[in-house]
Amino acid sequence: MNIYVLSLGFGLITASILAIASVGFTLQFGVTNILNLAYGDVMTGCAFVAYLVTRAGGSLPEALIAGAGTGALASYGLNRFVYTPFVRRGTRMFGMIIVTISVSLALQNGLQAIFKATFFSLVLPRPSSYTFAGMIFTSQQLVIMGLAVVAMLLVHALLSWTKLGRAMRATAADPELARSCGIATDRVIDLAWLLSGALCGTAGVALALNVTSFTSTAGGQFLIPIIAAAVLGGVGHPYGAMIGAVVIGISAELSAAVISPSYKEVVAFLILIVVLLIRPQGIFAEVATQKEVVA
Amino acid sequence: MSQQILMKMRQATSVALACGLAAAAATMTGGAAASAAPSTIVIGNFNPFSGADASFGPEMVAGCQPAARLINADGGVFGHHFSCVEFDTRGDPADAVPAANKMIATNSSLGGILGPSADEALATVPILNQAKVPMFVDTGQAFFDKSNYKYVWRLTPGDDVKGYALALWAKKMGYNRAAAIFGNDAGSQSDVPTLLTAWKKLGGKMVDNVKLALDQSSYRTEIEQMLATKPQVIFTEIDPQTAGTFLSELQQLHGLIPVLGTEITLQSPWLKAVTGAIGKKAMTKYVTGMQPYAPTSGPSWTSYNTALLASKSQVPQPAQWSSDPYSMTYYDGVTIMALAMLAAKSTDRAAYNKSITAVTEPGASKTIVHSFAQGKSALAKGKKIQFVGAGGPIVFNKWHNSSGAFEAAQQVNGNVKIVGEVTSNQIAALSK
Repeated sequence: MNIYVLSLGFGLITASILAIASVGFTLQFGVTNILNLAYGDVMTGCAFVAYLVTRAGGSLPEALIAGAGTGALASYGLNRFVYTPFVRRGTRMFGMIIVTISVSLALQNGLQAIFKATFFSLVLPRPSSYTFAGMIFTSQQLVIMGLAVVAMLLVHALLSWTKLGRAMRATAADPELARSCGIATDRVIDLAWLLSGALCGTAGVALALNVTSFTSTAGGQFLIPIIAAAVLGGVGHPYGAMIGAVVIGISAELSAAVISPSYKEVVAFLILIVVLLIRPQGIFAEVATQKEVVA
Repeated sequence: MSQQILMKMRQATSVALACGLAAAAATMTGGAAASAAPSTIVIGNFNPFSGADASFGPEMVAGCQPAARLINADGGVFGHHFSCVEFDTRGDPADAVPAANKMIATNSSLGGILGPSADEALATVPILNQAKVPMFVDTGQAFFDKSNYKYVWRLTPGDDVKGYALALWAKKMGYNRAAAIFGNDAGSQSDVPTLLTAWKKLGGKMVDNVKLALDQSSYRTEIEQMLATKPQVIFTEIDPQTAGTFLSELQQLHGLIPVLGTEITLQSPWLKAVTGAIGKKAMTKYVTGMQPYAPTSGPSWTSYNTALLASKSQVPQPAQWSSDPYSMTYYDGVTIMALAMLAAKSTDRAAYNKSITAVTEPGASKTIVHSFAQGKSALAKGKKIQFVGAGGPIVFNKWHNSSGAFEAAQQVNGNVKIVGEVTSNQIAALSK
């Protein structure tokens, strides 16, 4: 089998997890203007919930539903009870980043205190492998890729064709104007956190499934590629995040085949730097510029 | 207002001076309880107890506590009891250096230490050596293979020695084509040069040599490339999370092949991560680890294990350390310090440091002892002794290194099963 075709397939799996996570990350940022650096740790928390579900005999779909539900509720709760009080006091973006870092550390240490510094694996039957067009996938990886496709289509449908999607886009573009046009922006923000959290939880379970053994730091380690995918696509832009995820996921695997496995992370970020040098606002421009992420 | 500030500054200066003088005094005298009145001799357990390598600390305590228990049960050293005290380095030189300075400055009865580990050894050994603190280090760094630090003693093999042990065992198993899959961290990479040299000397072919970026979400491309070279065995040292992902993906893609790892492969975090990823049966069938030879029988091990199991209040679940080679060498380190104090007739650190080899070196006229009690009794009768520890005989070379044999072990039903041995003579012959 051709190593480059195989790598392309492997890259698609990584890209699928990245896409689910980075779309959730960027969607929430676009609507709320909060760069939530605790996102990776919420993912880890959801992976632990999925672990508990599978240990109790639950199936993969049940674990995914539990993970997505936990992510939605945790993100909603975080916004309501932690972030919103700071926003109401007028905390600016840099201050909010520090708050989210604090939440990240608290979550990570909380998970470590509960589950201890050891390794966990989802308790699921061993998957079977399938070969398709020179690429190899397991049944679980096919589920992950399918989930990513469905999630992206649903996000697209939501943003394009529903009233809520239009309200989200309006809130992301100009919250003051949206409010004066009669949009209940607080409700829209709550729904954005719920949706972002559900994607975050799904990505957490998918990550746990993919890495096989995970600890309380697994999601935090994955946060950098998530942010990179979001930045590459243009922060706050869900379609950009999808493209960013595909570029980073596939380039990392292909670089391992072409150059050296030691540099797979480096190459992905090198591409990010080059793209940002040419186009500082990312692939999709408008939201990043509006949010003053770039000059 | 300005007068108040001036007074505060004077007070602060006085306190700082007092602290500095206390620290200097502790450093200059060589510390420890040299006074006539019996007191407690502190054995510093200087290792990470938090952070990424938090598992190191408890392993050390599991060696120190049983040794202190036996020493104290036999009346201590000149009436001084031993006490194991934890000093958390957090596995980070930035935290370890102030922790070392504080330990020296605030513990006038510091008798010696276990540690530091590889995480903080290069940063803290110069400080500890200058303060004349005998230390039984647990770093495998090649830097300490030939270092001139007088107070550094190493009972565990250097990282580079592991390469010889891996190559010898693989050859013994009849393998000729091997892939080296090591993490791209400095610790793992330090095993590789000797492994490559030894494997070549033994006539083996290293078909792939990969530096893995750690904790990635996937290694499938690396696996496909490795399998294209058709290895019969994988040599490895990678962290548990990476190993779990790598081996489970190998199993999913094409099935496992034999894996031969360093002692990390037999430690509980690695076992938990990989067993969860590939299953118990595959773990037993395919994974073998090479660890420093640590017999779980004989009088020295029996003393260690009995004292360990009796130390439940200080060591949670003590049985988990019964066959741990590192805990055994920590136990040996504390016992050696106590016996050297008796041989030197002094608890002064600088004085007894010179007597360490006197209680470990073999010799025709020497009485072999397997415990502190036996050693104390023999020394009291004016005999010369050779302490044989739980980890086996101890022979320090001129650089204070004593590395013995290795054993190959597998995980069977939650227990480590020894399947063979690579002798120190074989390693010595290969490393010439």
